[in-house]
Amino acid sequence: MAELTSFSFHPGTSLLHKLDVRFKLLFLILISLVILSSGLWGLIILSGLITVLAIHSRMPLKSGFKEFRLFLIFLSLILGARMLTVPGTALIEIQSMAITRQGLVSGVLICWRMVIIALLGFLLVFSTPSSEIKAAVERILKPLAFVPGKRIATMMGLIARFIPVILNQARETAEAQRARCIENRKNPLYRLARMGVPLIRRTFEQADRLIVAMEARCYSENRTDSALSATRLDWTALLIVLMVCAWILSI
Amino acid sequence: MNIIEIENLTHRFSDGTVGLDRISLKIQAGAFVMITGPNGSGKTTLIRHLNGLLRPTDGCVKVAGVSVQKDLTRARRLVGMMFQDADSQIVGETVYEDVAFGPENLRLDHGQIHERVALALDAVGLKHFAQQRPHLLSGGEKRRLAIAGILAMEPRVIAFDEPFSSLDYPGVKQVLSQILTLHEAGHTILVITHDLEKVFAHAERLIVMQKGKIVRDGLPAEIVGDVEAFGVRAPCASYLGMEVRSWLN
Repeated sequence: MAELTSFSFHPGTSLLHKLDVRFKLLFLILISLVILSSGLWGLIILSGLITVLAIHSRMPLKSGFKEFRLFLIFLSLILGARMLTVPGTALIEIQSMAITRQGLVSGVLICWRMVIIALLGFLLVFSTPSSEIKAAVERILKPLAFVPGKRIATMMGLIARFIPVILNQARETAEAQRARCIENRKNPLYRLARMGVPLIRRTFEQADRLIVAMEARCYSENRTDSALSATRLDWTALLIVLMVCAWILSI
Repeated sequence: MNIIEIENLTHRFSDGTVGLDRISLKIQAGAFVMITGPNGSGKTTLIRHLNGLLRPTDGCVKVAGVSVQKDLTRARRLVGMMFQDADSQIVGETVYEDVAFGPENLRLDHGQIHERVALALDAVGLKHFAQQRPHLLSGGEKRRLAIAGILAMEPRVIAFDEPFSSLDYPGVKQVLSQILTLHEAGHTILVITHDLEKVFAHAERLIVMQKGKIVRDGLPAEIVGDVEAFGVRAPCASYLGMEVRSWLN
């Protein structure tokens, strides 16, 4: 099993890798909120900043883009729906349907915002071990007595641990089926069933083995958490993010 | 002194199949024991009782004089287990994080965890991979990582379930050499394998299982002639009446 997926933690020494995970979560929330109310110039500035951060963190943009394919299909559906449903000046008319200029602009802006938010999430996962995300969630949920913070954090940690494994298994299953000419079967439901059943079965088997291995190493919810500590770098980053957000909102 | 004492151990699976049938066994501290038998003979079922991953239907398992059922955490700390599929044993996103998983579960403080992880990684020669992602390691390195994860728990017994499966020759040599180093350091070693060739030269005792029972137990050289009758291939050299040589020579 070589490179698993770009959607997983990659150790590094970049600025993002050095930041405390609680601050990174706060930045993710702040920037996502600002994006929702920012216009074209705000999106251009944020896209530029995020691209610089991604390059600085050595994020594999090319392979990441490949794994974004399904998300792009989802975005194209949103774009199509906006173009056809927002009233305005018609650009192209096909029978009773019209693609409007306003719909196109609004669709592009919405998709752009979603891409930026997805990229922010990608950057967070790329630069933060899931154990730290888990520890941060646990601390954030701690004051809420009625929420089982430790359990939720453990579930998040296991999901993060399993996503690359499931993707890898899906890839292996698809390759094995292609080697036996599954592509000659045109019925998508048949192909989905042939792919889904073994994938689910293998995932559960893998989960079983992981549980046994975790139990053998005394797994419990009450364990030593990752040490989280805010440094001057985190507070400086917070100041910069607040200033950038205020600037974008003022444009 | 016996580190493991098993009395009349029986395990019946939920579908009624008998996994282990009234097994009694004593293993001395510091021993190097090889457990063999065909698929389904109960080897893995047996060692999973040593740290309470499986509960006996009947009988009792003691580790260092204390029943496993009485103190599961103690048993799991004392008996480390390396599984056949090293990938499924990986929990952490970096080598360091994976080795730290066990000590974190023991609720040690950060200083102690760091110390144990550093020692364990040093012992298996993976110190320079501490920040590497485990999935990118080679097969042999992944097994060594699994050993480091066990060592960080400071066990007295280490059980290896088919430690050489799907490894190339250099990988086998790496893992075998690691097992021998652990034995020299005083750990009790249990190796489960149906491929006797690779550890035969080093084991002090050979246990053969079939259908959930121990059918042979003794010095490897004395009972190797019987193993084929139980579905296990004997090392090649033994057919020629020669001494079985170590894979490390």
